[in-house]
Amino acid sequence: MELLSPYPPGWGEALLIGLLHSLEIALGATCLGLLIGTAGAFGKLYGGPVVRDLLAVYTTVVRAVPELVLILLLYYAGTDLINQLLAALGYQLIDISGLAAGIAVLGFVQGAYSTEVIRGAILAVPQGQIEAARAYGMPPGLMLRRITLPAMLPFALPGLANLWLIATKDTALLAVVGFKELALTTRQAGGVTKAYLTFFLAAGVLYLIVSLVSNFLIGRVEARARRGMPSIKDAR
Amino acid sequence: MKTVLKTLAAALLLGVAAMGVAKADPVKIGVAAEPYPPFTSPDASGKWVGWEIDFIDAVCAEEKLDCVITPVAWDGIIPALTTKKIDVIASSMSITDERKKTIDFSDKYYNTPTAIIGPKDQKFGATPDDLKGKVIGVQVSTVHAVYAKKHFTGAAEIKEYQTQDEANQDLAAGRVDAVQADSIALGEFLKSDQGKGCCDLKGMVAPDVEVLGPGVGAGIRKEDTELKDKINAGIKAIRANGKYEEISKKYFDFDIYGEDSQSN
Repeated sequence: MELLSPYPPGWGEALLIGLLHSLEIALGATCLGLLIGTAGAFGKLYGGPVVRDLLAVYTTVVRAVPELVLILLLYYAGTDLINQLLAALGYQLIDISGLAAGIAVLGFVQGAYSTEVIRGAILAVPQGQIEAARAYGMPPGLMLRRITLPAMLPFALPGLANLWLIATKDTALLAVVGFKELALTTRQAGGVTKAYLTFFLAAGVLYLIVSLVSNFLIGRVEARARRGMPSIKDAR
Repeated sequence: MKTVLKTLAAALLLGVAAMGVAKADPVKIGVAAEPYPPFTSPDASGKWVGWEIDFIDAVCAEEKLDCVITPVAWDGIIPALTTKKIDVIASSMSITDERKKTIDFSDKYYNTPTAIIGPKDQKFGATPDDLKGKVIGVQVSTVHAVYAKKHFTGAAEIKEYQTQDEANQDLAAGRVDAVQADSIALGEFLKSDQGKGCCDLKGMVAPDVEVLGPGVGAGIRKEDTELKDKINAGIKAIRANGKYEEISKKYFDFDIYGEDSQSN
C-alpha cells in the first residue's frame, strides 16, 4: 500500500499526474471533436455535393482505420512531413508534443464519430420547428443558436456522452509514443516495483472514478437539456 | 455563447502557438520509456536514474552540452531520432550494421556479453541444442531478437515482447522457458526478489559480432557529425579522467567497457 503513497518513493503522485494528462487529452480531443462534429454534421446535411462527398470520405476513412495506426502515423510520419514542408519553405522546425499529437489525433477521430451522432440528432429535430424559424425570417446563425442546437441536444447527448467515455480510455493508446499518461505510468510503476497487480488495480479504480463522475455530470447536463420536455415515463 | 466561442478560439490558437514553439537549444537525450535497470529506469518522481543516465550526464557536462532526458517508446526510438523528436539515443542500443543504414553511432561506451536465463528447476545451457523445443523470450527489435532468430530458429520458438520487463515477467510466470538479453540487465533481474525466486543464469551465448555488434553506442542522426564528434570526445575524456570508472563503480563490480576496440 505504501507504494501508492502520494510522496516518492510512492507512485501515487506519478499516477495522479498521469491521470491528469489523460484527462487533458480526453477533454481537448472531445472539444476538438465537437467542433469538427458540429461543422461536419451541418456540412453533411446542408453542404453542396463536393462538401458532402469530402465529409463522407472523412467519416468513412477515419472510422475504418484504427486509432493506434492514426496516432503512429501522425506522430512520426506527420511530424516529419510538416517539418519537411517547413524546411522547404524556410521556416523553423517544430516539434509536435505527445499532448498536441494526442489531442489532434483523438480529436480528429472523435470528430468523425460525433459528425454522425450530431447529424442523427439534427435529423431527429421536428422539421416543423426549423420551418417555423425560417418563416420568421431568422438568419441561419440565429436559427442554429436558438433552434437547431438546443433542439437537437437532447438527442445528441447520449451518443456524445458515449464518445467522451471512449475518449477517456483511448488516451491509453498514447502510451505507444511514450507520452506519460495513466496507462504508461502504471506500466512503468509496475515494472520498477514489480507490484503489477497493485498498480493495474489502482489505475482501474482511477478510470472507474472518472467514468462515475462523468456519468453524474452528464446526467445533470442531460436533465438541463431536456428541461420542459415531458418525461418518457409520464407519456405512456 | 460569443464569449465561449472566443475563449475556445483563443485556447486553440494558444495550443497551436505552444506547439509551434521550437526550442532548438537543449540536446534531447532519448531513452526507452520503460524500466531497464540498472541502465535507465524512472523513479516515482518521474526522474530517470541509472548508469546510462549518469554516464550521459557526465559526457554532457564534459562537452558543456545542455542535455535533457526525453523518454520515448523503444520501438519508435529510431523514427523519433530521424524526425528530430530527440537528438541522441542513449538507451543501451547496440551498434549494428543494420541500424547504421538509418542512423549513425558514437564510439561504443559499454559492451557486455549476452546471456540466457531460465527457470531454476530446469537444467540447460545456451547452445541451440540445449534450447531445442523451448520458448525463448526476447525484446522486439533488439540485437537479441535478431540473434535468437538467426541461431535458434528451428530449434526453439521465439516470442517477442515490447519491453524487456515483460519478457522477464513472462519467464517468472512460466509462459516462456528462457529469456535472452544483455547479461547485466538480466543479472539485475536475477537479483530482484522475483528473479531470485524463479530463475538463474543458464549461460552466455556464442559470440556473433556480425549480429551483436561491437557494443553499445549513442545513436545520432547521420548529418549531425558535429554532435557525434562532441559525444565521442566526451566519452574519451571521461574514460581518461576516471569519471567513467567512478560512475561504473556505483553500479557494477567489474569493468563494463569491455575490450578496447578500434573506433569505427
